[in-house]
Amino acid sequence: MSNRSITCPEYKARLNTAANLLDTMKTQIRQGVLKKRNLVWLELTGCSGNIISLLDGSNPDFKYLISQMTNFIYNNSLSASEGEVAMEQLFSVLGSDYILAVEGAVTTKNNGLYNIIGRLNGKLVTAIEAVKTLGEKAAFVIAIGACATHGGVSAARPNPAECVSVQSVLNRKVIKLPGCPCHPDWFMGTLAHILLYGEPDLDRRDRPLLFYSTLIHDRCPRRSYFDKGIFAEKLGDKTCMFKLGCRGPVTRIDCPIRQWNQYVNWPIEDDTPCIGCAQFGFPDAMEPFISYNTTREVRR
Amino acid sequence: MRAQDLSGISFDSIIAEVNYDINLLYVVPCVYTRNMILNHLRDRISMVESVTKAIIQPGQLQPQPLPLQPGVTPIAEPPALQQPTTPGNQTTFTLQELSKYDGKGGNPAYVTVNGTVYDVTSNATWAAATHFGLTAGKDLSNEFVSCHAGESILSKLKVVGKLV
Amino acid sequence: MTKKIIINPVTRISGFMEIQANIENNQVVDAKTEGLMFRGFEKMLEGRSPFDAVYFTQRICGICSTAHSMASTLALEDAMGVVPTDQGRYLRDILHGCEFLQNHIRHFYQYTIPDFVKLPEDYPLFKAEHNDFRLPKEKNDRLVKDYFDSLDLSRSSHEMLAVLGGKVPHNHGVFIGGITTQATTDKIIKIKSILHYIYQFINNRMLPDVYTIAEYYRDYFSIGGSYGNLLSFGCFNGYKDLGTLYVNPLVYTDGKTSVFDLDNITEEIDYAWYKDKQNVGKPFKTDPEADMSKPQAYSWVKAPRYNNLPFETGPLARQWLTGEYRNGISTMDRTIARVLEARKIALIMNTLLENLIPGVSVQKEYTIPETAVGKGLIDTTRGALGHWLKINNQVILCYQIITPSAWNLSTRSSNGMKGTAEQALIETPVKDINNPIELGRTVRSFDPCISCATHIYTGGKNVNTIQVIP
Repeated sequence: MSNRSITCPEYKARLNTAANLLDTMKTQIRQGVLKKRNLVWLELTGCSGNIISLLDGSNPDFKYLISQMTNFIYNNSLSASEGEVAMEQLFSVLGSDYILAVEGAVTTKNNGLYNIIGRLNGKLVTAIEAVKTLGEKAAFVIAIGACATHGGVSAARPNPAECVSVQSVLNRKVIKLPGCPCHPDWFMGTLAHILLYGEPDLDRRDRPLLFYSTLIHDRCPRRSYFDKGIFAEKLGDKTCMFKLGCRGPVTRIDCPIRQWNQYVNWPIEDDTPCIGCAQFGFPDAMEPFISYNTTREVRR
Repeated sequence: MRAQDLSGISFDSIIAEVNYDINLLYVVPCVYTRNMILNHLRDRISMVESVTKAIIQPGQLQPQPLPLQPGVTPIAEPPALQQPTTPGNQTTFTLQELSKYDGKGGNPAYVTVNGTVYDVTSNATWAAATHFGLTAGKDLSNEFVSCHAGESILSKLKVVGKLV
Repeated sequence: MTKKIIINPVTRISGFMEIQANIENNQVVDAKTEGLMFRGFEKMLEGRSPFDAVYFTQRICGICSTAHSMASTLALEDAMGVVPTDQGRYLRDILHGCEFLQNHIRHFYQYTIPDFVKLPEDYPLFKAEHNDFRLPKEKNDRLVKDYFDSLDLSRSSHEMLAVLGGKVPHNHGVFIGGITTQATTDKIIKIKSILHYIYQFINNRMLPDVYTIAEYYRDYFSIGGSYGNLLSFGCFNGYKDLGTLYVNPLVYTDGKTSVFDLDNITEEIDYAWYKDKQNVGKPFKTDPEADMSKPQAYSWVKAPRYNNLPFETGPLARQWLTGEYRNGISTMDRTIARVLEARKIALIMNTLLENLIPGVSVQKEYTIPETAVGKGLIDTTRGALGHWLKINNQVILCYQIITPSAWNLSTRSSNGMKGTAEQALIETPVKDINNPIELGRTVRSFDPCISCATHIYTGGKNVNTIQVIP
């Protein structure tokens, strides 16, 4: 037997999971090494599903996020204040050190008037103004969910509100967490990395390698059915859903090993094809989501 | 006869892979990699199983097409009935003929890039015969250049003919 | 003398809205609710595969995505002539029930409670601009604790949904015929177990909490009344064996309950940023374009009407129509009805779970018809939701959606009659004109989902750049 050490990238990546980062962080907080940082969560043109997804997170959960990790300054769905006071609170972070999280796309139509997020000093504040003002001064900008990272469903053909990604209106690095919605762990893990070690390793398109390095297809529990050419005929079948239109082979994300909502399930385990929601180009480039009429021979 | 072919070509490579896996198992340090190798090993064994079955009962069980090496996706049977006329040993397609290979109603999915016609029926990135909003049965030369320029992915696809 | 107040953003709702109100003698004399985001879903759906509508329309709303998967699935079934089995319906309705619980728990604790309970101010998120907190410290502390504890329960509600729905928000489970996967015994018992704890929480914590608030804010029983026109499309109803477990399609107006009739629905656009040949139309007969230059318009929300009247829809409407709660129609009644409904839904889910046959597969291989028309009408967390679709050449020719919040937060009728929430604000006493918290409390009692109500209408091609508000 050889004592040669063989580096295994999967093994290394697994050691670096969000949970481990959090453990380290808990220790550092206790030692006073880590300082809580300000966090602003902006909702723009979208469904506000990413903040709901964040509330679905566990270990770390939302309570831990707002009490131990950050000073959570503002979010439209959760802030106790309303009206001008809320807007003042949002823009009070300017001049301080803060991290900006953005969900939703940026509408450019009619000078941005297709999405107004509030009033400051009586003046309407458009989404595009807010993201530009806050985005330029933030220590880090994290785009959360498909709409923020590349326009997503808000920019789907024919893009009636002329939506663009957060990156398109900011001349700076934006960390991108695609997904519809973004899994709470992808955000929490990225945030934890920022708080502890600074910017995480990113791929060429600014996605954290921690979560977005491996294709669903490469870790799919149904992979052996694909290799053997055994394909599902309808939803609910337990075999490979390639012929129904599964986008697992083009989607880089860790759903197969992470799973969703307290880690109980994920789309393929639910007998449906992956619709590629964590891939750039979703939804237009990932459609059709479900096809019965394909290369599969039709039974007569 | 086909089972014979498969066993002739692939048994050796499968056995080689199995031996390689076993050697690897002795040296890998981490449990996770070991599990992956064991998984691969199990997969190869099930292949040997299916080939063996096919030899014993050739009439009852169609042999599965085997990948030549791990990671390469299986290749679909070329459609015997619908194939256009073959001048010499080279199948040719007009754009109209190609359009029938749209990956619908049980038809295979073919696309052409720079005059060569490829079979993408079983290509993993072409689920339900669609690929990032593109559909099969078409000339995708321009689309290919705009996304995959300089990549050597075409050589991994099965060539089925030429566009005329 | 008339004073004008503007609240924008109205936080703790889904989406973006502004309230404008005129105040005379510390009372609201006029009010407008304005939806301030546009996405144009109906235009986006044109040309897509009808099957994709189930997943696509969920992206309208992050907090009520399952509602849209329900309505789009019903519309597809109607178009394709598919009649789901009762087992299929039980499974699907269980998923829908999970969303009710998630939504009602989050709406009550995270969206409503900060209006009435002083949350710890060392959290920047909980800084409030007013001081109208009336609970004694001990009770306030109890509700603060429940604010945080409730987060685990709403999360568990989504966990139940994911057990059969794959993931959530934006589930993969609800589909033609029922749901995609099979409910095996292990999954059924997992859901039952989670549901048990949620039911206990609702019964032992949430109900006492809402009655505590009601006790100290009794004035809100006489604020926020509106017209008293109530509407439901029905939900958890018409099972072959179980009959109706909750509510049938009904309307209530002038003190009388009658059966809902689809033909009576119209939509008006006089005061919304759209233009069309005429300002009133039936679902599907119109194709309005976005037009922000319209002088009298002030919102992206159209005005759905029943018999030309604005209607209220949601938990209070349902509780009233079934006769389960008829204390009154007001801000506080709406809030209490939502909590009571959460308990009701938990009980209904339990009944459905007990009638499941484990391991039943309800999926088939479906073919899209060349041409077809379908509608899907169902009551969801916030009220009556309708999807309409036309299929041509096996793709979506057109799609139309009328959401619950479009009913509740609608703009004025052509004759100037106010929308339901606008009317609810009239005569509201405003104690401190600099902190008009009364208005937000009433509007929130409708659980507005402006992401739903405003972004689903057809986008125009040529929109002039204008100033929105004078």
